[in-house]
Amino acid sequence: MMKKNILLFISILFLISILSACAEKDKLADGSELVNKDEFVFAASGEFAPFSYMTNDMKMKGFDVEVGNAVAKEMGLKPVPKRLKFKGIVEGVKTGRADAAVASHTINPLRSKHVAFTTPYYYSGPQIFTRPDSKIKTADDLKGKEVAVAKGSTYADVAGKHTSNLKMYDSDITALKALDGGRHDAVITDFVTGKTARKEGFKIEGRQLIERSEQAIVIPKDNPKLVKRVNDALENLRKDGTLKKISMKYFGEDITTKPE
Amino acid sequence: MPSFSHFLSTFGETKGVFIDAMILTLKLTVVSVLLGIIIGLFFALLKISNFKVLGWISDAYVFLVRGTPLIVQIFILYFGLSGIFLIPDFWAAALALAFHNGAYISEIFRGSIQSIDQGQMEAGRSLGMTQSLAMRRIILPQAFRRALPPLGNQFIIGLKDSSLAAFISMNELFNVATTLGSNNFDEMTYLLIVAIYYLILVALLTLAVNVLEKKLAKSDR
Repeated sequence: MMKKNILLFISILFLISILSACAEKDKLADGSELVNKDEFVFAASGEFAPFSYMTNDMKMKGFDVEVGNAVAKEMGLKPVPKRLKFKGIVEGVKTGRADAAVASHTINPLRSKHVAFTTPYYYSGPQIFTRPDSKIKTADDLKGKEVAVAKGSTYADVAGKHTSNLKMYDSDITALKALDGGRHDAVITDFVTGKTARKEGFKIEGRQLIERSEQAIVIPKDNPKLVKRVNDALENLRKDGTLKKISMKYFGEDITTKPE
Repeated sequence: MPSFSHFLSTFGETKGVFIDAMILTLKLTVVSVLLGIIIGLFFALLKISNFKVLGWISDAYVFLVRGTPLIVQIFILYFGLSGIFLIPDFWAAALALAFHNGAYISEIFRGSIQSIDQGQMEAGRSLGMTQSLAMRRIILPQAFRRALPPLGNQFIIGLKDSSLAAFISMNELFNVATTLGSNNFDEMTYLLIVAIYYLILVALLTLAVNVLEKKLAKSDR
């Protein structure tokens, strides 16, 4: 019986020690915190071409990834892109799975309650996409129509203002693919995403550009020093033309400066 | 359905990535099942102990694991625990799977230990062994042999369950298949390819378990 008591005691001690051990991030001289002190670990979904996508040898590439790399280098850190499902990214940043997310997150008040945003690194907006033969022209035409969007994206809210018939997909590309394949009446997604899909041979057409949005890097709320450091890095990259260069490479136009 | 020649050429072209993924899948499975065996044995012993409270702890654990979907457990360990202590991605997935496998394995062990005739323990005790010594030297070796077929089964289930690690950014077989599939707008070809890899792994595992069973059976004669 004595032995068993000891066993019980040890296992309880073990549990308590696990629960009380705290996840300490590495603290840097300027007060900012990083998961690993020499690395800038940033998350993206890898399912949002051309912003982030997977190559056939499972490497993540794209506009967001290059911006993340540039920001890391500007801060003198090793860039470590990390792939997370889009709907898990904000949770991943909050819980310390990554230092930041460079994943085309649109700044909105609801997200701002949970995480901090840097200054925008590109400007865009949701657009309505339909098959070429569709009569839908503007957002008003969406009433009662079936609209597909990506789970966890802000486009679900945008679409919800115009119709109650929403279909959710894991990614914008699968939503557009379904539209191309004859399903649903429309998809609401970023105009750049739609434009790229069209280039890839999707039989879809862009209609009304619904609103303007600002995309920024997401950082945990309890790490304001890191927000400042990333903002400084972004400002330098804007000034020396690096952001513009990355944008020209992917889109043939500069989407990183505020449209007039 | 893709044509056979298209399937074959894609299979050849993607060998490198898929073999990397297969190794990761195998690592996840082996680590999680071996850890699961340790966890399972621990809880099985708690369950059969004379001390009631220990039995309740074991019951609670089995109830928690069997009562929630594996994907929920994986998400909780991956996102939830990181607030307490940050385990690397691979270990988050491996621990979640081990925690899950452990519950089923503890039931396998409990069943096989209880299936050993009471007289065996009594014989050991009458030879002057303590209860724990008799357990280690007499009961457990016999129980382990009986547990082997269901353990092999659990190994295979664990292998296939590891595909759920795809949802926490592990580039294991299933994740590679769906990613390449949607990249190339060719889901079906890649799903068929990944099915082949899983079949290869399961065939190898089955073979290994059979060999082990034969080896252990020798001492029966």
